[in-house]
Amino acid sequence: MTRVRLPASLRISAVVPTAAMRLPKTATAWALGRCYDYSRNGGVVYHLRESPGKHFRAPPEASLLDQLLENLRAAVGRENVLAARDELLVYECDGLTQHRHTPRAVAFPASTEEVACVVRELARAGVSFAPRGAGTGLSGGALAVGGGVVVELARMRKLLRLDVENRVAVVETGMINAQVSRAAAAHGLYYAPDPSSGASCTVGGNIAENAGGIHCLKYGVTTDHVVGARVVLSDGKVVDLGAAGAGDSVGYDLLGVFVGSEGTFGIATEATVKLLPLPQSVRTLLADFADIDDASRAVSAIIAAGLIPAALEMVDGATIRAVEASVFAAGLPLDAQAALLIELDGLEAGLDGEAQRAEDICLRNGARGVRHAADERERKKLWAARKGAFGAMGRLAPDMMLQDAVVPRSRLPEVLAETYRISAKHGLILANVFHAGDGNLHPILCFDRRNADELRRVECANREIVETCVRAGGTLTGEHGVGLDKSKYMPLLFSENDLDAMLAVRAAFDPTGLCNPGKIIPAPRGCGEARVVAAASSGNQNAAVDNGRGEAHVAHEEAAGEVENEAGTASNFLADEITLVNASASPVDDARAPLVQRRVAITNDIRDAFRRVAETEEDEARGGALVVSPASTDEAAEVLLVASREGVPVVPEGAGTWLGDDQTHARGCVFVSTRRLSRIVAHSPADLVVTVEAGVPLSALNEELARAGQWLPLDPPGGAGTSVGGVVATNTAGAHGSAYGTPRAFVLGMTVVLADGRVVRVGGRVVKNVAGYDLSKLFTGSFGTLGLITEINFKLRPRPEREATLRANAETVDNLFVAARGILRGEFLPVALDVRASGAASRQANADPAPRFTLLARFAGSARTVESQLGRARGLLGEGESLSGVEVVEDDARLWAEGGESNSDEAQHIELKVNVLPTRLRAALLRLEELLGASAALDNWGANVAAGRLRVRLYEVNDPAGCVDALTRLRAGLRAEGGSVVVENATRDLRDVMDRIGFDQWGMSDERAALMRRVKLRLDPRGLLPRRFFV
Amino acid sequence: MQTQPQTLARALAHEEAKLLACIHCGLCLEACPTYVHTGDENDGPRGRLYLMRAAEEGRLAVASPAFERHIDRCLGCRACESACPAGVEYGVLLEAARADIREHGERRSHTGRLLNFTLRHVWLHPARLRFAFAAARVFRDAGLARLLLKSRLPRLVSPRFELALALLDSSARAPLNGSKSIAREASHEEGTPRSVVGKNVGGAESRPDEPRAAQLFEGCVTEGLFARVNRATARVVRVQGCEVSAPSGQVCCGALHAHAGDTEGARTLARRNVEAFESAPLAPVVTNAGGCGAMLKGYGHLLSDDVEFADRARDFSARVRDVSQQLAATGLRVGAPIDAGVTTYDASCHLLHGQRAAEEPLRMLEAIPALRFVALEGSDVCCGGAGVYNLLEMELSARVLAEKLKHVAESGATLLATGNAGCHMQIGAGARLAGMELRVCHPVELLDESYRRAGFYDEEIAEAEGSAKQNP
Repeated sequence: MTRVRLPASLRISAVVPTAAMRLPKTATAWALGRCYDYSRNGGVVYHLRESPGKHFRAPPEASLLDQLLENLRAAVGRENVLAARDELLVYECDGLTQHRHTPRAVAFPASTEEVACVVRELARAGVSFAPRGAGTGLSGGALAVGGGVVVELARMRKLLRLDVENRVAVVETGMINAQVSRAAAAHGLYYAPDPSSGASCTVGGNIAENAGGIHCLKYGVTTDHVVGARVVLSDGKVVDLGAAGAGDSVGYDLLGVFVGSEGTFGIATEATVKLLPLPQSVRTLLADFADIDDASRAVSAIIAAGLIPAALEMVDGATIRAVEASVFAAGLPLDAQAALLIELDGLEAGLDGEAQRAEDICLRNGARGVRHAADERERKKLWAARKGAFGAMGRLAPDMMLQDAVVPRSRLPEVLAETYRISAKHGLILANVFHAGDGNLHPILCFDRRNADELRRVECANREIVETCVRAGGTLTGEHGVGLDKSKYMPLLFSENDLDAMLAVRAAFDPTGLCNPGKIIPAPRGCGEARVVAAASSGNQNAAVDNGRGEAHVAHEEAAGEVENEAGTASNFLADEITLVNASASPVDDARAPLVQRRVAITNDIRDAFRRVAETEEDEARGGALVVSPASTDEAAEVLLVASREGVPVVPEGAGTWLGDDQTHARGCVFVSTRRLSRIVAHSPADLVVTVEAGVPLSALNEELARAGQWLPLDPPGGAGTSVGGVVATNTAGAHGSAYGTPRAFVLGMTVVLADGRVVRVGGRVVKNVAGYDLSKLFTGSFGTLGLITEINFKLRPRPEREATLRANAETVDNLFVAARGILRGEFLPVALDVRASGAASRQANADPAPRFTLLARFAGSARTVESQLGRARGLLGEGESLSGVEVVEDDARLWAEGGESNSDEAQHIELKVNVLPTRLRAALLRLEELLGASAALDNWGANVAAGRLRVRLYEVNDPAGCVDALTRLRAGLRAEGGSVVVENATRDLRDVMDRIGFDQWGMSDERAALMRRVKLRLDPRGLLPRRFFV
Repeated sequence: MQTQPQTLARALAHEEAKLLACIHCGLCLEACPTYVHTGDENDGPRGRLYLMRAAEEGRLAVASPAFERHIDRCLGCRACESACPAGVEYGVLLEAARADIREHGERRSHTGRLLNFTLRHVWLHPARLRFAFAAARVFRDAGLARLLLKSRLPRLVSPRFELALALLDSSARAPLNGSKSIAREASHEEGTPRSVVGKNVGGAESRPDEPRAAQLFEGCVTEGLFARVNRATARVVRVQGCEVSAPSGQVCCGALHAHAGDTEGARTLARRNVEAFESAPLAPVVTNAGGCGAMLKGYGHLLSDDVEFADRARDFSARVRDVSQQLAATGLRVGAPIDAGVTTYDASCHLLHGQRAAEEPLRMLEAIPALRFVALEGSDVCCGGAGVYNLLEMELSARVLAEKLKHVAESGATLLATGNAGCHMQIGAGARLAGMELRVCHPVELLDESYRRAGFYDEEIAEAEGSAKQNP
């Protein structure tokens, strides 16, 4: 651990948390006043991080600032640093002009190395920073509060690589969103997330905010499309997150939680994004309504009918009139009170039918008429009108207050009506233009900031609208981010525990607290003194508002300053760092010790303690191990509290399919089973959302959902008996993952019990949500190492009308891979596409001897699309002479269930997951075969051709050491191209060999492992939960 | 920040309502060539508007070097206006900001001072201006400019001098014929059925109420260095059955003055032009330079506070049309094929964004059968010429120009048509200095050549011949 020596005057106040708390109230207020002054004047930074005592004595030394600026200039070039006050003015706000903080300087690095260099200089000087792209964000996220430095990525706009075959693009994060699609268009591909500011905003900004857009109803938001990122952490270290398109990522989903972290975790400098094939056909409809209620009812009806439009947008009358007066006029009906823009895309076959259904639903719900875009030109015009709508509001008033709340789609009519009622009550003009299909509202309040009374009313109306949305089961923000703008509303959604968990993860990524401070988490928390200050300086919320705009603004700036000044301390995220520093400095545990799950003697007292809070049994099969089965989240919290109090390690378990070697801990720990957490808590068919307890078997859930014609399309290997909690905890995807999404894509939110018994609720119950960090991503795939998942909110999909599989066989595998790639390249939308080899073992098991190599392509959807694809795919496969037995399997469920491995213990075996770029699958197989040689027979595997995931089962391992050696070498080879090798399961003897050789089951890069370790340390500092990733 | 009373942004304050229309959404950023190249928001439309508003609110001194620098660095291409959903009239605001800077700024460069002197003491006096252009023509047509350029000596003097020479040299007439092979190819197509030639294109039928007379605005640079384009414009318009005259009292449009912040100079010129064109109050005022056209269209706003001229200027501005718009209104006859080589079109910013003429210039090219036309990537982006910007902000201008030339090279075109003298010279000069084989012309020159071959002028009376003779 290297620690930079700072001059005494620059010692971080946070390392002495009590000092801040002891400050007299008036002195703190004075300091805050100074803070406000400084930030307004773009003035000095250092006092925010120097010791409070020092603060009173002398202003920070100007020479140090000059030195920092000189160092920055040396890092990026003299002309690429702005430091003159007048040139910093434009960087005081982003797309939302209400929040203003002038930075101390702006640096324009041109490469990852330069970013790292800039960040190192800033860290050394202890100056905070905020990354910024195009500055089109709408939450005040890209502002450097407290006189920090803006790290501007606008010069990093290169497309680094376009991999057409694997459908990924590697871009510098300063690249403009729309340019990605433009570059990919020549190859028939595009980048799906399309925020309205897409023509100007950067990919980096999209990642920071987890931006949505118009077409995310069907295609998902940024997090679903970013598969890799190179990130500069606050200490200047560079770490690669994600798998960059090569199968699944290994370890915690750090990328998942990074996306949407609003620049508080680090600076993404390069990103690998997924590209999708341009839809074969598109239908765009414009339905106009005389009554806005009718329009929102039509939206609910479309969703409930199981249609998944690519986009489903609503514009209200006020918006229509503003847009029609602008350069983006598209002939929207001027007298309408609302219009719906509906876009359906996909394969030509069957699309007209869907368009007809959508049209019928609109007409049934009171649409006056439905217009079809005649050609691409008209379609583009309609979307340009939609995207220009926010800007066009400039015609109504000089200032806008824009909200971004999301509500369950079935609640749209009432919430929408309520927003109009609220704005009318406050005498304000309200315009609504929003992603109706997602339930993502954008109420826009028009005002003039020079009118203090109007501003006050806007603040009131704004809060009431937000509260209305939250009460309806919604969330604060769906795509704009929290930033400075909505942090004050965070307590409406999250408890102290929830916010603490978020801060813990933030501190794991950024122990220095220098990364974009003041954002997301509300300012003063956890510290009594700070709270008093907040009350004294801003009164309560209403008092602040009463003072008119200027005062509210002051209060807010103070609050923002406080995060750095006081709350950073108070909220324990810097204070915690001391623990970490101490821990890592201490020779005793060397930061690893807490991660090794201890074993303790389970005494009778301890047994009784558990018995008192939940049902407990002793599992004879596991040598009398104690299995505790709480029946509710509360009971689970009690259980973990007891465990934490007694210092007993716990192992969460679902159906037990993935426990692996942690069963060996049986004697030293307690199993917490989710068996009795078996209720389906709530299912809202109209919203396509379900809340279930973690112990519900996936099959049982899907049976229940099938009654409403919906399902959770997950197919983890190991069979459908797995509990949903287990599926989520392991984030295990099956064959359908590449088309429908892996478990992480379906988790909207969850309830987790942390190691110390605290209950944390993360995410929400709506389909778009960027309020706070997306901790669901972190717990998903954490293998129970970070907490016990007790309840999960899933988004669902309508069940397809028809599913059928095309099967083809061949004696050599190459032909099948060629055929599979042909299907991927062609105009098909397979929901699963596998090439499989069934080895001797399984051939013997079957009465009907299966052929050696099989290609399986499954199509799903309306009967017409499936029929058309089957026909065409059959033609494609039939072309070559090399394939045999090309046939359509109608009742194909068994075929796909069979694909999943049986975790049978019958014989010595090892199960691998090899992740590679899809085009490298064949090469990886050849390489593995070559490396294995005679040590094991490679004849039982399944390759997911779209995802680049290869699951291999080695049954006859003749030479365990040779086999493990082969895996080591395969891993080393694959790492260079971004791939990985994970041992998912192995029999005991093989595990022993792996341990002896020192072969790590996961094989993560050191930087990533270090970051994971920090996350683990923050959330489970005592190491009571399983170690799994940490050997 | 304390603001000195004498540095108040008066012109900007006058336009406060226009400033307030910007809600900072940022959709303009990528439309702005300077932002794309520097990544500095001070060099983007939104940032400049923010600076203007700060100046207007007194948070920023008009005399601030930052303000001056970033307002100066604006090309004034107005591409942001086409991207702006709120309809911010950026061009007007830019001129107001420049007027304020001109009034209060103290740190003008030598080049800036020279420009001001020239605009005041040459441009406002038609006789001096004519003399200056005549001298330039002699220099150019005697081949001295080209000779000097070839000698590489100007580069030693200064890159600015070299560019100035290249600009001048590129204003010379370019051969419209493509290479021999293309010529042969085209000659096969000489047999275009006579029935097509002379037909109106694209259903652009002449409207019966369309005035049968038009007034030609000649423009200072165009008449000084591109008189051939003015003659061609007159012929081409006449062929559609519309009489053309060029009022004698007309002067420079004043765009250079307005862009440089010399609002008074611009107004002086504007008044003279308004008066000069009142001889035929219903006839359209036809221009063939995008920059002039956009300026003339702005007279209504420029003189809106002038009691005597406000209404007259508004009426005048309403009559202004680019030649392409004039042809679209009167109908456009199909000419004969010409062998011009691979041809592309680059939009003049002020034609595209200032006058919203996106399609009309392309219609002119479509009226030439068998023209080997290729679309130009980024044809809607500024070339970096922007009046005298290329001489004032050389570095940034060169970067913008390099991007343009890259796209031209990729398109494979050997002839580029563009509807503004400034763009014509900028792209021509850039190609010359980069050693590219590229000819530049005005679309109307191509159409004129096509019509000449079609024999339309044979039918014309001697009057047309007379004006053609004046063509140098």
